[in-house]
This record gives sequence, structure tokens and C-alpha cells, in this order.
Amino acid sequence: MTGLLEIKEKIKSFYGKYETFILPVVKFLLAFIVLNTLNGKMGYMTKLDNVAIVLIVALMCSFLPTNCIVLFGTVFSLLHMYALSLEVALVGLCVFLLMFLLYFRFSPGDSLLVILTPLLCAWKIPYVIPIAAGLVCAPTAVISVGCGVTVHYLLQTVITSGPAVKTMADSETTAKLRLIVDGLVKNREMLVMIAAFAVTVMVVYLIRRLSIDYAWTIAMVAGAMADIVILLIGDLLYDINISILGALLGSVLALAVAKVLEFFRFCVDYSRTEKVQFEDDEYYYYVKAVPKMMVAAPTKTVKKINAQRSRVSERSVTTERTGGRRSGAPVRSQRAGSGYKSRERSITYGSADGDPDLEIQPEDYEE
Amino acid sequence: MLNEERVILMTHMASYEAGEGKKNVKIGNYFRSDYISVQVLKSLICGTIAFAIVFALYIFYDFEMFMQELYKMDLITFAKDVLICYAATVAGYGVLTYIICTYRYARAKNSLKRYYHNLKKLNSSYGGGASGKSAGGRK
Repeated sequence: MTGLLEIKEKIKSFYGKYETFILPVVKFLLAFIVLNTLNGKMGYMTKLDNVAIVLIVALMCSFLPTNCIVLFGTVFSLLHMYALSLEVALVGLCVFLLMFLLYFRFSPGDSLLVILTPLLCAWKIPYVIPIAAGLVCAPTAVISVGCGVTVHYLLQTVITSGPAVKTMADSETTAKLRLIVDGLVKNREMLVMIAAFAVTVMVVYLIRRLSIDYAWTIAMVAGAMADIVILLIGDLLYDINISILGALLGSVLALAVAKVLEFFRFCVDYSRTEKVQFEDDEYYYYVKAVPKMMVAAPTKTVKKINAQRSRVSERSVTTERTGGRRSGAPVRSQRAGSGYKSRERSITYGSADGDPDLEIQPEDYEE
Repeated sequence: MLNEERVILMTHMASYEAGEGKKNVKIGNYFRSDYISVQVLKSLICGTIAFAIVFALYIFYDFEMFMQELYKMDLITFAKDVLICYAATVAGYGVLTYIICTYRYARAKNSLKRYYHNLKKLNSSYGGGASGKSAGGRK
């Protein structure tokens, strides 16, 4: 566990140091994957299905706000729908406009969920989303996840109806429109998925906020179970052919992802829980304090004082600092990855008041 | 000498100003009633557009049938039904907006109160109101 915590601290410090570069790269990759998936799944507009265009748009997304990925994703899907049929594009535009007008005006921050949900649905692993959203987001994420599922089924309906729409004549405007609207509104699978995901998000959110030990683990397991149960019930009631094996495997994967999230967001040591009780003039306080698991990331600094002078040059002087350690006293050498176990000792020179940045001049030794 | 507590306070405040604070300051610039009215008005407009979209989809879904029925149906009753649906939709959305905005305004005000309290604390750590070198500049 200590090794994992050290890796976590290293990742955190690495991210903190290079955040300016990491965020654009992540945004670029996300935009690239989203647009490529859209082109791969739909691909009705051949001009858009071009790596150069996708690369340019993804590059633009890398320095624009995250919501722009949603915007470009929407534009790409609408253009593909337009290439298929104007009526299909109109229905798509109406659905996107409704989402924007009624919900995203209030919660633009959750738009990432609306991209990730259809993306993971397309990869057949959507069960990660409700559990992760319940763990990390506010309960309003229910609506974002629902919108994401709707977008996925809209695109799915367009893809499955595509061949039929192509064979229809241009004059059959209402028939095309009806085909898409029916495919969306009368889609029981979509309704069951939305219900299952909504309940999962709420179950996970409510349980993880409880003041019980291992609340996050219990929440994610309960969420996964609730998800599977509702999918089973939906399958029995409406005969929607949801792959139960897929749901089980997806839930196991979701639990693994949720454990990683827990490690980064809520890594606490329940064995050191403290319960204290005190009072002031107005209240009695019953406080439960659970300490976070933390390890200072090992850092290594090598100072070569003088490589050329005869007496000192034979010895390389190593000064190492760890979190909170003063360099006034000799410290144990720490090598990357070896933690505190190394018994090797190194010579360390420090000032009397423990100033770690004191530089030792070669003349001091010669005297 | 570096004052650690002051540095921590300033870091927290700078982070707040760059993130959540920006949004809260915008909300805090309004009076409560003004903020909620503007948001409800925006919702009424959005709700109207959304209703129009859904209504248009409903009409075009079976346009031929609708045109045939148009001559037989009682137009006043139809218009009344549509208006009732519209009023219910927009009113429901407006009420929801009112609740959300009331909650958001209260949260933003509390958060700003904490921020100004920290600002005062920072000011007093520089020896009261005399040196506004940081605190004064921030405001």
C-alpha cells in the first residue's frame, strides 16, 4: 500500500507540475477519440471522415474550454445526420436544443458526462458512468447521465434507421421524421437504461455520503447491484434483450474503475478512526474523524560540491530531503523506489539551524 | 519573514477568486430578487422555445393526419388545450428555476461572506486598515 501511495503522490506532484501541458493533451485525446468514434459509427458525410479535419478540430478543442468538445461533437453528429437526410438532422437538432435549453443552461459543468456516456455506451461499457458519477458528482448528474444515454440512443437510432432512410424518397418527409422520433420515443431499452442509471447514481451518491466505515466501497457495490437488478427487471417487463452477461462484466469493470477513483479521491484509514465528543454553549458535538492515508513523495537532490579539488572530490556529497525532515542531522539515504528501507548512510552537511539550502564552500574543508 | 498563515490564506483566496469565486461574485452583484427574476425570465424564454420545438415535432410527426383533422376539430378547444400545456410546462420550469436560483443565491452569498471574512482577517494580519497592499487590491 505504501508503494501505491507513493506512486499516487508522484502522480499528483507530476500533474501539479505539468498541468499546463497535461490538460490540453487529455482534451485533445478525448476530442480525437470522440470525433473519430462518431466518424467511424456514422460516417455519412465523407468529407468529415478525414483524419486531417479531426486532428485540426481536436487541436482546437485542446486549448478551448471542455464544453467545446460537446459543441464540436454535436456539430459533427448533426452534419452526419444532415448528410443522411435533412429530416433526421432536424430531429437531432431538436433533441440537442431541448437538452441545451432545459438543462445545460443550469449545469454546464456536467457536459463531460454527456460526452463520456455515449462514448462508453458505444464501447459497450456504459456501467462505469453511473457509479463514477455517483461517487464524484452531485446528484444532478442523474440528468446529465440521462441526457448522455438519450444522445447514445439517438445516434443508435439514426445508425440503425440509416439504410431505411436512404431508400425512402425525398417526398416522404414525415415518414422519415416519424421513423426517427418513434425509434427514440418508443425505445423501451433507452427508458430502462435511463431508469437504471438514475437509480444507480442516486444509490451510490446517498450511500457514499453516509457516516459509515467503507462507505465508498459499499456505495459502489450497492450501485452496481441496483443497476443489474433494474436492468433484469426491465428485461423481464419489456423484453428488451439487454445482455446480462455484458452487464455483469461491465459492472465488474465499473467496480475496478470505481476503486481506482476511490484511491485517488477518498483514500482513508478506517483503523485510525477517532470519535470525539465535546460541547460548547449551544451544542453537543459528536465528531468522527477518519485520517487520510498519506505518504510524502520521496524526492532526491544530488549536490556535487566540487568535482575537481583533490580532498573533497573523492567523496560525493549527497543531501536528501523528505517531507518534514530537517537536514541538520544525518539522514538515511533514499533511493527512488526503495522507500525508507535502505540502510545505506551518506554524509550530509547541514547548518546548525538546520537550513537545508546551505551551500558548503570547498575552502571550509581545506581549512 | 514569511508569514505562513498569511500565505495559506492568500493562496486559498486566490484559488477561490480564480475558480468558484468568479461565478459567485457575478451572482453577488445582483440583489436577490433581481437575480431570481432575470433567471426566471430566461427560463420562461427557454421554456417557450422548448415547447415550440416539441409542439412542432408533434405537428410534423403526423402532418397529413393533422391537416385532415384540422377541418373537423374544434379549433378553440385545441388552442385551449395547447395553451394549458404550454402554461403548465413553462410554469413548472419557472418554479424549478426559482427553487434552484434561490438555493444558488443563498450558497453564493454564504461563500462570498466567508471570502470577505478571510479578506478582513488578511487585512488585520497586516496591522488593520493601514496597509491595504494586498487586501485592498483584491477587493
